[in-house]
Amino acid sequence: MTLRALDFILGGPQGGGLETSSQILTWAFARAGYGVISDREYFSNIRGRHSYVHAEVSATGLPRALRYPIHLLGAMDAETVFTHFGDLAPGSYLVYDTGEEGKVYESIPSIEPELKARLRAAFREAGLDGTLGSLVKYLSASRRVVPVGLHYASVLSEAQKEVGIAASQASRYVSAILVGAVAGLTGLGDGPVSYGLSRRFPKKELYEPNRYVAGAVASYVKSKFGAPLALEASSIGQRELLVASGNDVSAMAKIVGGLRFQSYYPITPAADESFTLEEYESLHLDGFDSEVVVLQTEDELAAINAAVGAALAGARSATATSGPGFDLMVEGLGWAGMNEVPVVVTYYQRGGPSTGQPTRGAQSDLLSSVFASHGEYPRIVIASGDHEEVFRDAIEALNYAERYQMPVIHLVDKFLANTIASIPMPDLSSIRIDRGKLVGEAAGAGGYKRFDFSSPISPRAFLGQAVMWYTGDEHDEWGHITEDPESRVKIMEKRMRKLEIADSEIPEEARASYYGPERADFLLVGWGFVKGAALAALEDLSAEGLRGAYLHVRMFSPYPSRLVSRILAGFEPDRVIDVEHNYTAQAASLLAMNTGFRIRRSVLKFTGRPMYADELARAVKSVLSGSEREVLSYGA
Amino acid sequence: MARRPSPSDYRSDVWNDWCPGCGNFGIVAAMYQALAELNADPKATVVVSGIGCSGKIPHFLSVSGVHTLHGRAIPFATGIKLANPGLNVIVNGGDGDLLGIGAGHFVALGRRNIDITVIMHDNQVYGLTKGQASPTLPRGIRTKALPMPNLQDPVNPVALAIASGYTFVARGYSSRVKHLKDLIKAAVEHRGAAFIDVLQPCVTYNDVFTYDYYDKRVYALEESGWDPDVRDESDAARKAAEAYAKAFEWGDRIPIGVFYRNAHVPSFEDRIAGRLPGYLKVPPAAEPVDSGGAPLMDADAFRKAFSKYIVEIGEG
Ligand SMILES: Cc1ncc(C[n+]2csc(CCOP(=O)(O)OP(=O)(O)O)c2C)c(N)n1
Ligand code: SF4
Ligand SMILES: [Mg+2]
Repeated sequence: MTLRALDFILGGPQGGGLETSSQILTWAFARAGYGVISDREYFSNIRGRHSYVHAEVSATGLPRALRYPIHLLGAMDAETVFTHFGDLAPGSYLVYDTGEEGKVYESIPSIEPELKARLRAAFREAGLDGTLGSLVKYLSASRRVVPVGLHYASVLSEAQKEVGIAASQASRYVSAILVGAVAGLTGLGDGPVSYGLSRRFPKKELYEPNRYVAGAVASYVKSKFGAPLALEASSIGQRELLVASGNDVSAMAKIVGGLRFQSYYPITPAADESFTLEEYESLHLDGFDSEVVVLQTEDELAAINAAVGAALAGARSATATSGPGFDLMVEGLGWAGMNEVPVVVTYYQRGGPSTGQPTRGAQSDLLSSVFASHGEYPRIVIASGDHEEVFRDAIEALNYAERYQMPVIHLVDKFLANTIASIPMPDLSSIRIDRGKLVGEAAGAGGYKRFDFSSPISPRAFLGQAVMWYTGDEHDEWGHITEDPESRVKIMEKRMRKLEIADSEIPEEARASYYGPERADFLLVGWGFVKGAALAALEDLSAEGLRGAYLHVRMFSPYPSRLVSRILAGFEPDRVIDVEHNYTAQAASLLAMNTGFRIRRSVLKFTGRPMYADELARAVKSVLSGSEREVLSYGA
Repeated sequence: MARRPSPSDYRSDVWNDWCPGCGNFGIVAAMYQALAELNADPKATVVVSGIGCSGKIPHFLSVSGVHTLHGRAIPFATGIKLANPGLNVIVNGGDGDLLGIGAGHFVALGRRNIDITVIMHDNQVYGLTKGQASPTLPRGIRTKALPMPNLQDPVNPVALAIASGYTFVARGYSSRVKHLKDLIKAAVEHRGAAFIDVLQPCVTYNDVFTYDYYDKRVYALEESGWDPDVRDESDAARKAAEAYAKAFEWGDRIPIGVFYRNAHVPSFEDRIAGRLPGYLKVPPAAEPVDSGGAPLMDADAFRKAFSKYIVEIGEG
């Protein structure tokens, strides 16, 4: 029997090579034509704490969500098994190091006390002695888990003899053991595995020994177990795939979109985007030239204000940050609103408040994005739901900023930022670049009024093209300070009218999407990374005869009120369920504010881990049978 | 401008609402004169200010002006200059603005050595909020509006600028307009981060550091034989240390003039140009981003640029 989709977890200590294994496998599965999504979960720590990668590989589509239970757990260390054994499905496979069988969870310092307490209870109930060995026996006897025990040290010392890797370097090859074990169990061919390895290790000195280790493990596992987790042949029908994290997709899109200046102050999970931009800061290919100034500033106050300055001078300009940094940017954003500056803030949400959960995901900054400010000014807030949306939205954000001369906040969540997904190659021919109303040097003649009242969107000249003034004080058409009451009314109306223009010009279909049958029995309403889980959960539910639909909101300012109202009108109020990653159902509040419709039921998750399709499906069933609020918590 | 411009060409018609007698009038007068003598193109000159009495200065000038946020003039100026290095960017800020709320940016500009001139209106008080102590007011001093004498020690602006890496560091006095004009010209012509600490009497709130106080004490460094210039790169540290020590001369005699000048440090723009070959020829502000509404990058270029992320499906 072959699988249509496979969910697996690889775990190990942060900094121990886990990312290497997962990267190689992601490339290998994609090379073999499968769709892949892989989420990286890690502590705010550089070395030693438990991290893991949860991936889904699909033969039938490009997956956007993850599921439990899993088919396969690949453990670098005992802590991984102690942390994830509950995730294993009956009949699943556990790859572990038999050299660690004697390890006792109580003596592993990196396991948090709360997990230890849960383990104590579980081990007592199952009558286990606390060792990895006892746990593996129990899993095999009572949960039908198939142990794939390998003695990692022996595998590596064998390799030392065969390919001459130095003893001091041996631990670096544990990642290759996991690659080999996954390849063996899934029957992934030699070709794709070598491909993944060669991309990760372009240098022969590293490629050869890694290939040896992975190959030896794969053939041992295959000979012993016979590829029990083989996937059916792929029916995805792509010739090539883009395999990248949300951070990287955003960086690529910004380059396509003509970004010329990005400032940032390092913060998880936003900084990777700026690193990627810096890597591609200078591109000179035949017929294509692009240079981007990437400036690491002294703080986020400087980041936003430098980005605004660059925009005044005429550069397509952006900054990228996360919650704590955004908080510092708020005053600068208000200046941009007041002075009608096209600037983009790519906002990677993580768990808050305060430092919160720096490496975990959330969608709890929606209201802050829409409202953070003293005073009132127009802004556009876009939220992406998957990697393809990130690509489009990152470019549209730059367009909207210039077309409507206002700040644009592009919301991405950590789940998207750090999840690597395979997506189709973007269709660049459908992309437009819109710089809005520019007057250039012509502005100079006869004096240039930057805030000309004759239309809400005044023709824009850059600093250097004409003499002009800007001020954060309330100002007249020239950009000089005025406190005149009548002028105040005029310029407030001018600024705020721009949002109405944006609302009338940007098609609502681009701001909210409906997925599902024309007549469905219930409606999930969500945004951001919820999209993938919601669509996957709906598929599972429809297999059980429950016909649901999903309303995906992509723009929160200006809000697609008419379209959303129309869709909501087709449902019984009690059959509408808000789904999001926060405590207070923020998107539901905005929906109520904009449509008058109060969603009474919700499925919420704020553990910092993504929503999984299976837990969402279960929660939806509970809600449909009367529960008003379901709080999800699955995932280590 | 065909004829040589005169200082009044750089004056806007906005009514100047500083208190009569304020030292800021001397600073703006020096700027009018300096810009005229530099024959500055009003379009290509951008005065960026913070918030305070000092922050209003762009509105009184007929070059482009960006009146920003309290403490943030330097980051705005940084973005403007790096996006278009062809612009002549001058920052005007208060002592509270630059050394209180904006001190981190002040230090960062020195480290980068961007070709920006910073003029600090040093009146030892927060003028616009009615006379509180600023970061340059000495401990134990009680200026007019203070309920009690100041508890905090002052920061020395000239010393801090040297320590931060500014490559042109000077002090001026708002009442010596011609001297200040020359300093501004030299600062603008210096390629790198330039700082001028301008002693600026606040006639409304500062009854300690007054015109009378300064008139008796200031003397010009250049007249005392001071040589601010780093002539040989290897001499930079010694010169900086001497200038640093000189910065603390304060009391009966207060030096004004150029303390330190080092033309050997590459500007940030040059550092960027080392990585972006087109940067100085076609800066970010001028580099095209589209061709007739279509992105410049086509599928082919995308494939080449981002091959690292592309997986071709296949056997081997
Ligand atoms: C974030 C912020 N905090 C406080 C203020 C209030 N404020 C306006 S001007 C000023 C102080 C100005 O002092 P200084 O920078 O020395 O300028 P001066 O008025 O003396 O020229 C303060 C605190 C503000 N505008 N913004
Ligand atoms: S308060 Fe002081 S600094 Fe402000 S304008 Fe009046 S005299 Fe000048
Ligand atoms: Mg002051």
